[in-house]
Amino acid sequence: MGSLRLLIKNVLRNKRRTFLTVSSIAVSLFLVATLETVLTELQNPPETPDSALRLITRHQISLFNILPKSQRAEIEEMEGVEAVIGTMWFGGVYKEPSNFFANFATDTDQFFQVYPDLIISKEEQEAFKTDRTGAIVGDNLAKRFDWKVGDRIFLKGSTFPVDVELTIRGVYSGGSDLGTTLYFQWEYFSELMNNAGFVGTYTIRARTPEDVPRIVEQVDGAFRNSSYPTKTETERAFILGFVSMLGDVQLFITSIVSVVVFTIMLVAANTMAMSIRERVREIGVLKALGFRSSQVLTMLVGESVLLSLVGALLGSWSARFLFGSVDMALLTSGFIQRFYVTPGTLILCLLIGLFVGICSASVPAWRASQRPVVDALRRVA
Amino acid sequence: MKIPVKYNLRSLLVRRFGTVMTAFGIGLNVAIIVVMLAMVNGLDATLVETGESDNLICIREGSLNEVNSYFDRDKFDLIRFLPGVARDDNNEPVAVAEIVVGINRQRKDGEAANLILRGTSEKGFELRPEFEIVEGRSFEDGLRELIVSQSIAERFEGLAIGNTVEMHNSDWPVVGLFKTNGGAYDSEIWGGYEDISQVWQRPIHSSVLLRVDSPQESAQLIERISEDERIQLNAVSQDEYFAEQTYSSIGLKALMGFIAVVMGIGSCFAVMNMMYGAVMSRQQEVAALRALGFRRMSILGSFLTESAFLALLGGIIGCVLGSLFHGYSAGTSNFASFSEIVFNFRITPEIVLQGMIYAVVLGILGGFLPARRAASVQLIDVLRE
Repeated sequence: MGSLRLLIKNVLRNKRRTFLTVSSIAVSLFLVATLETVLTELQNPPETPDSALRLITRHQISLFNILPKSQRAEIEEMEGVEAVIGTMWFGGVYKEPSNFFANFATDTDQFFQVYPDLIISKEEQEAFKTDRTGAIVGDNLAKRFDWKVGDRIFLKGSTFPVDVELTIRGVYSGGSDLGTTLYFQWEYFSELMNNAGFVGTYTIRARTPEDVPRIVEQVDGAFRNSSYPTKTETERAFILGFVSMLGDVQLFITSIVSVVVFTIMLVAANTMAMSIRERVREIGVLKALGFRSSQVLTMLVGESVLLSLVGALLGSWSARFLFGSVDMALLTSGFIQRFYVTPGTLILCLLIGLFVGICSASVPAWRASQRPVVDALRRVA
Repeated sequence: MKIPVKYNLRSLLVRRFGTVMTAFGIGLNVAIIVVMLAMVNGLDATLVETGESDNLICIREGSLNEVNSYFDRDKFDLIRFLPGVARDDNNEPVAVAEIVVGINRQRKDGEAANLILRGTSEKGFELRPEFEIVEGRSFEDGLRELIVSQSIAERFEGLAIGNTVEMHNSDWPVVGLFKTNGGAYDSEIWGGYEDISQVWQRPIHSSVLLRVDSPQESAQLIERISEDERIQLNAVSQDEYFAEQTYSSIGLKALMGFIAVVMGIGSCFAVMNMMYGAVMSRQQEVAALRALGFRRMSILGSFLTESAFLALLGGIIGCVLGSLFHGYSAGTSNFASFSEIVFNFRITPEIVLQGMIYAVVLGILGGFLPARRAASVQLIDVLRE
């Protein structure tokens, strides 16, 4: 235990250097934690227990292709399907294109059976279903534009040559979209489009998890040789499909993380080299007193590990604290809804700290510990 | 009196290990920033450099992009015979009506993305003068053939010459690879307008592309198109249309700014550490300099110079490392068209300059406190030691 005290004393002997090294490592690991969180948020879209039971069917060629509404009745009849709704991305613009948010025309009759995870009162559900130009909005979306039940809003069509004027009939919370969507009646939309009778996707709720693969097979099988072949996948896979469109961005972020880690290593190695160089004589004294080379090595590496770990802890936890306390949705005008530094990321940062600590000290510490005592004592630092 | 710069360079050389380590640290930081700048620049440039200023693109009023624009086919004749539209040698208007659809295809990395499939015709090639077939031949109308941009063929599965693409229960052979000037059209697949319109059962046009007779008439023609009650389309110059799509890079820009600031702070600490080390171990030297009559300001300046040199070295390392990524081909989602856009990282002299300035700023910020510490060395204290 004596050597632990010595270790801490050594760490504190040049306080400024310790402070600067720890700060540098902490700032870098703050960056690592942030970038890792970007990746985990991308790769793990928000889910609720119900989203595992939801499937999305789109046209096999791409989302740009529409599906005939007549398919709905067929899907409804299939085994394992509890409810199904047709939805159409409306792409309406609220005042400015920069106010971008998701807005869909949707079937209302089975809407809340498909989305039982939305928290909304029975009265508001009914009001939405009965008002032809009614709409419901997510709580975060309502907060963003300061909308209340009863407000009338105008959405200018971008994908379609029609505009809609809606009355907000309810505000929901929960749901795997984190309350960021607007839904209005498909009937209203279809009427404006001269009863064109098409949807973009079907959202299906399966009865049990076992029904999920069965439904995929049934739906896609039924329409395979029709004019409108489909592709059905789980809600999660569907959302991850959007993430994969970002292309090389993920690879790029991962590369940046590795470069940052390498940079920390250089900084830490430099500090340890400086600090060990100043202490060559002292190390000679320790060895003359009977400390073994391995003990000296352990102590020096321990010092570096301690510095890096403290830096890693500070960096990753400050990221967790900072992103936990600012309203990211407000800060990024709805672009980022959730930004949560996971325990996994915290652990990763600690492991990086440990790794950097060991690697950066090993070479100078090994050399110092192996230096013959006489040689070390003779040296003038 | 100024302390010679040679003194600083030699001092850096004495502490080579620390100098190299710190410079490399700054270098990696600069490299990340340079590569990010090259990436954003490449993405923006790909969009900005697409299209000609004397071409107009007409899309449905209210739609934000060709992808979600569609209108009746009879509007084409209303537009192309308007005064102000250029005519070719046969007195035919230089205009093309096209259809744009999206198809979801798998990349070679295993993930899928949307691609723009454009139905066009001969006039479409003429309106894009950089267009050329690099391999194979062009598609023939009525045969349901496709030509694929070279960069997309390289990046996606099953889009090489000889492959067939199954769409709407019919097989479309890829018969040629094309390229344009490295712009947005280089991320597309083209086929015959009639073929695509027919098979997709969409008897519509997505956009009309036309050349104006003379650049001065452009504004008038735009007005003529938007004010014509029968047309009701929005006309914009083709280059502006694509330049507006550069908001796709806004996320990357924000990320870059964040990384530049945070990583920069980390690097400042590292420089500070190194420079404090330099100052502390050279206290006697500094005192000697003072004793020789050098002023405090000279000493401050000298250490700042040293720190700036250290950072400059880092900047050079960073720019060299970053330059290795010049021309690296990547792809991401164009938010405007919701489809893949392929671009090349592009390093320009301005980016190198920005990288160097960034490095020197890091050096000066990180070196300031240590330099001040050096300047405040008390002659008497040091000499007494």
